[in-house]
Amino acid sequence: MSNDGKSFIMPGTSITRRQALKRMGLFGFGGLAAASGLPVYAARPPAARVAVVGGGFGGATAAKYLKMLRPDLDVTLVEPARRYYTCPFTNLYLGGLRDFESLGHDYRELGETFGVRVVHERAEDVDVDGRRLKLSGGGELSWDRLVLSPGIDIRWGALEGYDEAAAEKAPHAWKAGPQTHLLRRQLEAMEDGGTFVLVAPENPFRCPPGPYERVSMIAHYLKTHKPRSKVLLLDAKDNFSKQGLFMEGWAEHYGDMIEWVGLSDDGRVIRVDADRLEVETEFGTIHRASLLNVVPPQKAGVIAHRAGVTDDSGWVPVEPETFQSRKVPGVYVIGDATQAAPMPKSGFVANNQGKVAAAAILADLDGREAPRPTWMNTCYSVIAPDWGITVANVYEVTDGELREVPGSGGVSPSGANAEFRRNEARFAEAWYAGITQDVWGSRPTG
Amino acid sequence: MKGIDLKTQETTGHEARGAPLNPGRRRALRALAVGAAGAWLLGRGALLGESGGRAVWERLDAARERLDGARPEPGAIRLDLPGVTQDGSAVPLTVDIEHPMSEEDYVEALYLYALGNPTPEIADVYFGPLAGRARLSTRIRLNQSQTVLALARTSGGRWLAGHRDVRVTVSGCLSQDGTYDFDSLMRTRIRVPPRLRSGEVGDVRTLIDHPMETGLREDRQGRTIPERIIKEFRAEFEGTPVVRVRLYRAISANPYLRFPVAPDTSGELAFHWHDDQGESATEAARIEIG
Ligand SMILES: Cc1cc2nc3c(=O)[nH]c(=O)nc-3n(C[C@H](O)[C@H](O)[C@H](O)COP(=O)(O)OP(=O)(O)OC[C@H]3O[C@@H](n4cnc5c(N)ncnc54)[C@H](O)[C@@H]3O)c2cc1C
Repeated sequence: MSNDGKSFIMPGTSITRRQALKRMGLFGFGGLAAASGLPVYAARPPAARVAVVGGGFGGATAAKYLKMLRPDLDVTLVEPARRYYTCPFTNLYLGGLRDFESLGHDYRELGETFGVRVVHERAEDVDVDGRRLKLSGGGELSWDRLVLSPGIDIRWGALEGYDEAAAEKAPHAWKAGPQTHLLRRQLEAMEDGGTFVLVAPENPFRCPPGPYERVSMIAHYLKTHKPRSKVLLLDAKDNFSKQGLFMEGWAEHYGDMIEWVGLSDDGRVIRVDADRLEVETEFGTIHRASLLNVVPPQKAGVIAHRAGVTDDSGWVPVEPETFQSRKVPGVYVIGDATQAAPMPKSGFVANNQGKVAAAAILADLDGREAPRPTWMNTCYSVIAPDWGITVANVYEVTDGELREVPGSGGVSPSGANAEFRRNEARFAEAWYAGITQDVWGSRPTG
Repeated sequence: MKGIDLKTQETTGHEARGAPLNPGRRRALRALAVGAAGAWLLGRGALLGESGGRAVWERLDAARERLDGARPEPGAIRLDLPGVTQDGSAVPLTVDIEHPMSEEDYVEALYLYALGNPTPEIADVYFGPLAGRARLSTRIRLNQSQTVLALARTSGGRWLAGHRDVRVTVSGCLSQDGTYDFDSLMRTRIRVPPRLRSGEVGDVRTLIDHPMETGLREDRQGRTIPERIIKEFRAEFEGTPVVRVRLYRAISANPYLRFPVAPDTSGELAFHWHDDQGESATEAARIEIG
């Protein structure tokens, strides 16, 4: 399928498609502005079919922007859940700052406003030669281009003793849902004076600042309800995202309630005993927990492995300009499943990547060169109520590789005053409202 | 993300020289320094860019000198390194060589090089047959995306080679300063299997607290921080060498060494570390066979 490949005109502006797409990528949810000026099209051949697997930050964004940019495209989103709960802000839920339902989003806007066909099934398998998806309901779905945004799956057993049964006793809560509720119930049941132990993995993993925000919010809960308790963070790394700011915030709000043990201090856990709530470190120290939260080693969502797009790292190598699979042409992979370092595995970046992939797919269908993308990320973390910290960066492709734009970002200053930190916490809330509106059309409640 | 955290690292560094700290924070600060101490000044660019059809070992003077005209055989050396790493200051590396370890024929030496570092040597490793298997794990510094090369020599005089490419997305290059908490300097940790069956290959882990200062960094005033590294590590079982390592500055702060041991009688495994300022440390543990 092809057409003239010329740029289109947005009513009232003379912006080129290239610029428009670039801005959407760059400004994340600011791309909504483009919705008010939908493009005008000439007649074209029968619509190409795009299937999108996964209705999270990456997939829902890709589906929406494909339809927004080209309403006559045939776009189907395959996502088992009718209501999607975000991992972002589950830590705030655990800390008692946020109601769980406020983290739920549905697919009504995608269907009703943008005309995405939403199928609430699982994609069980991918036939890349026949260009078909096999669905859990028994049906099949044909596609001309495929987008996979399945997020992560746990590498069960990669950490000795940590399998699915163990996760029912020592939850990971690294996917939002039953695991999150389990952790919250255990937290409520924990005795005052107990020790909460979090096991943090090696890179790469979903949400680099996540484990540190997690213990912050747990400490907030404990300080409020069970002040004699301790938090121990056993880490397989010697340094982590926003480390200085986290340490500063912990000292400020929690004194020495939180203890962090890094790799060189024997922080790496090599075995979990979920029945006894014990972990063993590399040099043989046994730590016993009242409540054990294991953030385990991860890999790309299983469907990516079925599609044959992963490599031996367990993640998906992609072409940096387009996020098309390096291994299977016609398959685009976005979000946590990809190897996109130095970009983090964040919802913010998955949303950007969804827009970039949408633009690249349209260019590919038109036989045009894909627009040159720019991505951006901001990771907010909330350490205590009204106390936020931030890291931001802009990324582009240089010499065929994804790179940080030098000098484009950084962490928020250390030693900032309470008002500054309160503003950062507000930015985090505003970001959440903005991005969930961009992806799922949600309106903040209350 | 490490590169841009430096502002906070420096601030924390100031604090470290000020008020007393609780132990949890102390550890944390020390570990911050570990990251910073992993930093390299930018080298004089990549040593070599494209392969140009030559074998990897042909691209490195140090390797050609070491080989002295011999042509190494590919295939037997397996290097385990992440294909992409976000932290060039501590990249986990395992080298495993498929070759007998009998008195008659064993791997006696293993040389490791990082082709894109300012100085390519990582470590020279000498095995005894008592190791049971020619395998070593450690953590290394890589200041940019590059190729890691391993050359091994067997007791029969054969040479083996293997290599692996690594992409480093955030290098340790940007740091100018960092602190290292010298309180625990030369503190050691070991893990030795207390019991093995005869012929069983056991797994030994060691770590020593040491900044492994590269000599390539500058402090805030722009003065070069002098090199200070652990130079040598030895493990001996009842006086017989199991493994001896010559470490270079590409070994990460707090050197971690993991290797096998396969004794056939009970006895004591002794460990020795020496740094280049004359400091040393020793440790020992018993292994029972049966
Ligand atoms: C505790 C925590 C806190 C976090 N906080 C933040 C934050 O503050 N900011 C931020 O930007 N990011 C944050 N993240 C990271 C963020 O959650 C992820 O980066 C983001 O969800 C990635 O989007 P994705 O589309 O790749 O995957 P997901 O959002 O996980 O979406 C994947 C979807 O695919 C579906 N799926 C999987 N397999 C199939 C299949 N076979 N068929 C059909 N559907 C399938 C799943 O049901 C799921 O809905 C946090 C993560 C955690 C764990």
